[in-house]
Amino acid sequence: MRDVYTLGTGQTIFGKHDNKTVNELGAAAAMAAVRDAEILPKELQTAYCGNIYGPANVVQSTLIRLGIGKIPMYTVENACASGSSAVHLLHRDIAYGVCDIGIALGVESLSAYNKKFGKGLIGIEGDMQAKLSLTMPSFFAMLCNRLMEERGATLEDICYPSIKNHKNGVTNPFSQYKKEVTFQQIMDSPMIADPITLLQCCPQSDGAAAVILCSKEYYKKFNQKTQRPAVKVAASVISVGSAEDSSCDPLAQETNIRSAIKACEIAGVEAGKDIDVVEMHDAFSGEELSAYEMLGLCPKGEGVAFARAGAAAMGGRCPVNPSGGLLSMGHPLGASGVRVVADIARQLWGEAGTNQVEGAKVGMAQMLGGVLSGVDSPVVAGIQILTK
Amino acid sequence: MRNEVIFHSEALEKEGNTLVQMGFRCDACGKTSYPVYELCPFCSSGEGSKTPLSNTGTLFSYSVTRVPVGPFKPPIIAGYIDLPEGTRVFGQIRADVKAVKTGMSLKVETGTIWTEKDGTEVIGYYYTPCGKEKGGAE
Repeated sequence: MRDVYTLGTGQTIFGKHDNKTVNELGAAAAMAAVRDAEILPKELQTAYCGNIYGPANVVQSTLIRLGIGKIPMYTVENACASGSSAVHLLHRDIAYGVCDIGIALGVESLSAYNKKFGKGLIGIEGDMQAKLSLTMPSFFAMLCNRLMEERGATLEDICYPSIKNHKNGVTNPFSQYKKEVTFQQIMDSPMIADPITLLQCCPQSDGAAAVILCSKEYYKKFNQKTQRPAVKVAASVISVGSAEDSSCDPLAQETNIRSAIKACEIAGVEAGKDIDVVEMHDAFSGEELSAYEMLGLCPKGEGVAFARAGAAAMGGRCPVNPSGGLLSMGHPLGASGVRVVADIARQLWGEAGTNQVEGAKVGMAQMLGGVLSGVDSPVVAGIQILTK
Repeated sequence: MRNEVIFHSEALEKEGNTLVQMGFRCDACGKTSYPVYELCPFCSSGEGSKTPLSNTGTLFSYSVTRVPVGPFKPPIIAGYIDLPEGTRVFGQIRADVKAVKTGMSLKVETGTIWTEKDGTEVIGYYYTPCGKEKGGAE
């Protein structure tokens, strides 16, 4: 396998863009990435796009706006891990020598989705459990209840990631929310699924993100930003769950744990020691609290202590979601898996501004996607580890 | 005459006059899956037999959703119910929310779970408490 380098990143501000189409959003992110990489759009040899609810041919109708055609392009759907999957496939193409440079794009307009289907909690269409009211909040409410029963988490612990991430998001220019929240405000916001209140949930968002990856040869020849340290995508893993039975536990999500272990092995890093920064799927505050141990940032059963010690906060052992995460940045579903990789690249380049984790050398980008009947949920986990 | 439909075609089968949750007991791995798929979802074997699921189970974890979901009005109590054969089923629980605790015993019942605008009754399964309860977090 060949080494794969990050050459450029771009994204739109996440939030409500109901006057923009997915093509406009996607093209804005792709333009920003091409400019950041300082290449001509015609250099790109392939394109992958993460998207869930967009129209057919979303990647082609987006990239033609930059004069990009004739190259192989694919739109990839893997629920909230769609963007991670786009990055993964591009990484694979370059690692195995299929091409030397390409773009991974992610785009979503929840405003367009809501116009079509109306607002409300979303279950997976046609799924048996979804028909009986299984939604993301109900699944993660069960996870929060498990955290309280099995890990001794209090409501304050459950709300902690939301407080921390909203604080981080205040200074992120791309963030949907730019305000801090207190425990009291979180608990006073409307109850969605006990104990998850509205301010423990990520918002619905529109937006796009893009990452340009390339081979070492291409990087050496064409990288213009010589002041930037070279940042590699040292590992990329997509894991899918298997049949669900009574041994499954939301606190020990098999896909999440397996992909983290495998990604660390490939990258040759030890999660609890070497990873300096994480951007992850915090669709719900309690979800992030449960993930510290699953990602290997701390030993099993010690996630609550990890949080209480401030290890996941800015200035802590391993800041998690310095961008503000999905909770503050927003979550345009298909885009988030690309956005987390772009954010980790910016961290390792030292270009994360006021959200910079000082001295970050190794970072992890993670996404989870989907809850389904009969499959151990979440259904898909995507993890990339970047190093410099 | 009342118009009735089952909420999900694979979820319930008629056995005599009653509706049952039909599972598949795999001879190769011994696991019971639900609903019945083309092959065993645990091991891909096709060897085994259709068998009704146990009608009682234990509540593994649950949620109380406070906003509407599709045709359901809040509060919606729902959870994962673990059956003696090791199968996990997701279903709604009809009970006083204060009486619901993880680890409690539940039994399955079938009946109307929602009514369409045209009066069609949608038939499904749900769980109700059974037996004396002990322990568990609220």
